[in-house]
Amino acid sequence: MKLNLTVLSLVLFAAVSYGLYQLSYEVQELEKDLSSLNENIAENKETIRILKAEWTYQNRPDVLQALAGKYLPLLLIAPYQVASVGDVPYPPIDPKQFSVPVPQQKPRQNARPTAPSMPTGPVQLATFTRAGSLQ
Amino acid sequence: MSDLAWITKSPRPRITLSSPLGQKLSGDRHMALRLEGSAKETLEQGRNRLVMAGVIFAFCFVILAGRLIGLAISGIGTEESAISDADMAPPVAVGESKRAEIRDRNGVLLATTLTTASLFAEPKNVIDPKEVATKLTTVLDDMSEATILSKLASARNFVWLKRNLTPHQQYQVNALGIPGLHFRSEEKRFYPMGALVSHVLGFTDVDNRGIAGVEKYFDAQLGGSDESPSQDLMLSIDVRIQHALRDELSRHMSIFRAIGAAGMVMDVQTGEILGMVSLPDFDPNRPADFSGDSKFNRITLGVYEMGSTFKTFTTAMALDSGTVDLQGGYDATEPIRKAGFKIRDDHPKKRWLSVPEIFMYSSNIGAAKMADDVGPKKHKAFLAKLGLLDKPSLEIPEVGAPILPPRWNSLETMTISFGHGLSVSPLQLGTGIAAIVNGGHYINPTVVRRGDGDVVPAREVISAQTSDIMRRLMRLVVEKGTGSKATAEGYLVGGKTGTAEKAVDGRYKRDALIASFVSAFPMDNPRYVVLAMLDEPKGNAQTHGFRSAGWTAAPIVGRLISRIGPILSINPVDEDSEAVQKAMFIPINSKEKKLASF
Repeated sequence: MKLNLTVLSLVLFAAVSYGLYQLSYEVQELEKDLSSLNENIAENKETIRILKAEWTYQNRPDVLQALAGKYLPLLLIAPYQVASVGDVPYPPIDPKQFSVPVPQQKPRQNARPTAPSMPTGPVQLATFTRAGSLQ
Repeated sequence: MSDLAWITKSPRPRITLSSPLGQKLSGDRHMALRLEGSAKETLEQGRNRLVMAGVIFAFCFVILAGRLIGLAISGIGTEESAISDADMAPPVAVGESKRAEIRDRNGVLLATTLTTASLFAEPKNVIDPKEVATKLTTVLDDMSEATILSKLASARNFVWLKRNLTPHQQYQVNALGIPGLHFRSEEKRFYPMGALVSHVLGFTDVDNRGIAGVEKYFDAQLGGSDESPSQDLMLSIDVRIQHALRDELSRHMSIFRAIGAAGMVMDVQTGEILGMVSLPDFDPNRPADFSGDSKFNRITLGVYEMGSTFKTFTTAMALDSGTVDLQGGYDATEPIRKAGFKIRDDHPKKRWLSVPEIFMYSSNIGAAKMADDVGPKKHKAFLAKLGLLDKPSLEIPEVGAPILPPRWNSLETMTISFGHGLSVSPLQLGTGIAAIVNGGHYINPTVVRRGDGDVVPAREVISAQTSDIMRRLMRLVVEKGTGSKATAEGYLVGGKTGTAEKAVDGRYKRDALIASFVSAFPMDNPRYVVLAMLDEPKGNAQTHGFRSAGWTAAPIVGRLISRIGPILSINPVDEDSEAVQKAMFIPINSKEKKLASF
């Protein structure tokens, strides 16, 4: 019994220590990861800053103007080239293409109302009336 | 069977002897053997020592175990956690200690801080300086071999070879793999637009402290401090407009061989300055390479006698105070002689001129008489209301105060009425014109972008009716008067020319002019004020030798408005249409004799 308790506690101690150290190593590993990630983020941010500055530098208005002058046949916008959406006329509508088929006859003109027949069956409801007749 | 055992319950050690024969010796089966004397003492001592040693060992192990557990759990005390503690700070802090960025009104980057590598050498550790110098010149093309050699020959332990390399250069130097060369990262203020926005931005010194322009004015905000983090700044400048302005100004500056030029575009409703250019200018990336003249901001710091553009203020004042109305006029047949001065017209009509004619033909005589009717006191008060007599407030340190005449009597009023005798900065002139055309509200100029819903503080200087008449009069100048070269078809430009002789050493120099043109557009509902100024323009064959503002400064404005109108989303109108003609109509009431009876 005494021996069992000692062995058990030793095993337990070993297991807990192992777990604890494992955890500790894991945390250390994660911390290392974190610091390298943070380093990467800082580095990337710096790179983004440089690239943004580079982008702006390459897009200087005078450079763009020189390039546009070289490759694009554009001149200053003349007033007649500016219009609002309201100034744009609607295209004429072709009646054939867009016409809606109009029925030649009024619907139901030829249809005749059929008088409702008496319900077949042995029982007749007291509320039954012939169609059209006033109640 | 005999055994020797501690009888635990007994307070003293006792030896139990059982008879080897197993026979009972007496009635008592156990016989206590009590040790007495020295033997007992020795045993006691041994036991005590054992217990003491056990307790000490146990204590040590407990401490060790405790420390182990503590270390395993917290990890405090190791080197690694000290690093990660710094990393535990919120991620915002990464790279935020830098000087903040400056952007234009659309978010285009104007100034930023980059971490650059600076190359230094430890001459002691450089093995072969000659070879190093040869190799380095292939990468650092702006440094000669001799310079590098002389630097490497120094006896010091540390010598800068080149500050602020580009990332590409750093890579190349690394690729050379020379021992004894090292990098140190430094922060460098970088202006990607170069000279474009130079005077507004200003520049910083080696330690990244602002020493001019908004860099200086907002130094605390941009640099940040321990209490407040650095904050980005958004200017009211629009780089597209700034570029168009600079482009037109520099082109006309070279056409007319002027020594300087300046221009400004300003929103009349908010006072925001969309473009502000002073030429010659400098590259804020390397301010040391430029002369002091190129750093002089002609728009805000320079004060000039503006000439006839002041007739706008004179006319507005006379109409607003009611001393003359649109039907009235003055006789401009004879030059005015007063206190030894002679006030005469540049384009004399030699007849009676109505108020619109005085403005349109820019008659000095008419303007002088108009101002004299109002009187010096009222004149001074009116110009003070327009902010022309005080140093204007703008968010850059380089702002010049106007130069007032020592006395302000009838003669001074007469000369100031056509813009001589009072020196103001072009910024003040533009702000004043904005107040005249926007319905009569003076709005403080600013280079910082206002929020969309901000209430702009304004004070009334003239009535809305006077402002409306002034719009029509300014339109008349461009349509039929001296400013016809400022026409930008569709944008209803209105403005006023101003040609003034430069005062040098208290005398007017006849051959040195300041030609300016101040305008607003579109005149039916003015949105922007545009100002252009040339310093000492010279006439050429195209202008038939004329150097006056109508020939030199007005075309800048015309070209510029055609360019920036679409950017500012101004809807062009048909200037000949009846509605526009009606909106811009002004009765001229000329008494000119028509040459009808030939």
